Amino acid sequence: MGMFDMLSISASALSAERQRAEVTSANLANAETTRTDQGGPYVRKEVVFSATNSSPFRTVLNRVGRFGQAAGGSVQVSQVVNDTTAPIMRYEPGNPDADKNGFVAYPAINPVTEMVDLMGAVRSYQMNASAVSAAKQMIQQSIDILKSS
Amino acid sequence: MATTPLMQDLQGYLKVTVDRQQIVASNIANVDTPGYHVRDINFQSAMQQVMLKGDDAQLGPATNDVEGLPERPDGNNVNIDRESLVLSQTQLQYQMGVQLIKEEFHRLLSAIKDGN
Repeated sequence: MGMFDMLSISASALSAERQRAEVTSANLANAETTRTDQGGPYVRKEVVFSATNSSPFRTVLNRVGRFGQAAGGSVQVSQVVNDTTAPIMRYEPGNPDADKNGFVAYPAINPVTEMVDLMGAVRSYQMNASAVSAAKQMIQQSIDILKSS
Repeated sequence: MATTPLMQDLQGYLKVTVDRQQIVASNIANVDTPGYHVRDINFQSAMQQVMLKGDDAQLGPATNDVEGLPERPDGNNVNIDRESLVLSQTQLQYQMGVQLIKEEFHRLLSAIKDGN
C-alpha cells in the first residue's frame, strides 16, 4: 500500500536522525571523560547511515516489476563507529588518571563539531516530520472522499 | 473497476502522485546517506503507463537518477529545496485529484437523482 509505505520511509529516517542526535549528545556529555569501562578516555562515536533496499537483487526484481510497488529506499543506521583520532594529552600532574609523565588523555571531541552535527540532525528530523505531515494529510484527504456532503 | 472513464484516469493520476510522493519521502529520508543519489519518476511516462494499462498496471514506476544536481563531497546530491518543492507539489496535485473524484461522484449522484 503506497501511502503507508511513505509513512514508514519517513519513520525510518526519523528514528535514524534521532539515533544520530543521541550519539552526538553522548559525545558532548563525555567530552571530558577520562575513565571508561574499557580503560582509557571516552572514544568519540559516529553513526553511519545507509540506504536500505539498495541490494542489486531487490532493485532488479523491482525493475522487472513482478513484485508490485517498489518499496522505495528507507534509511537505517548501519553501524556506530569509533573515531580513531588520537586522544588529546593535557599536562595535569595532580589528576589521578595522569600517566608517569603527568599527562592525562582526554577524548578528541570538539564541542563545536558536535553542536553543528546536532543541529544537522535536528533539521533533518524536522524535514522528515514535514514529510510525515504531508503523507498524513494525503491519507486524510482520501478518507474524505467517503464523506457525503 | 472504476465507474466512469474519467474516474479511472483520476485513479491512475492519484496512483502516480502517491508513487512520486513516496520517492520524494525516500529522497528526504536519505538526506544524510553518503553516496545516495536523488531519484524521481517521469510523470508523463508514468501517467501514460497507468492510463494505457488501467487497473492492470502492476509495474512499479520506473525511477531514474535526477541529472544536474551538485554532489556533496560524500557523494550525496539530495537538495532539500528541490525535495520540499516536489513534496508540496505532489501534495497539491493529490488534493486536486481527490477533489475531482469527489466532483465526479457528485455528478454521478446528480444523474441518479435526476438532476436534483
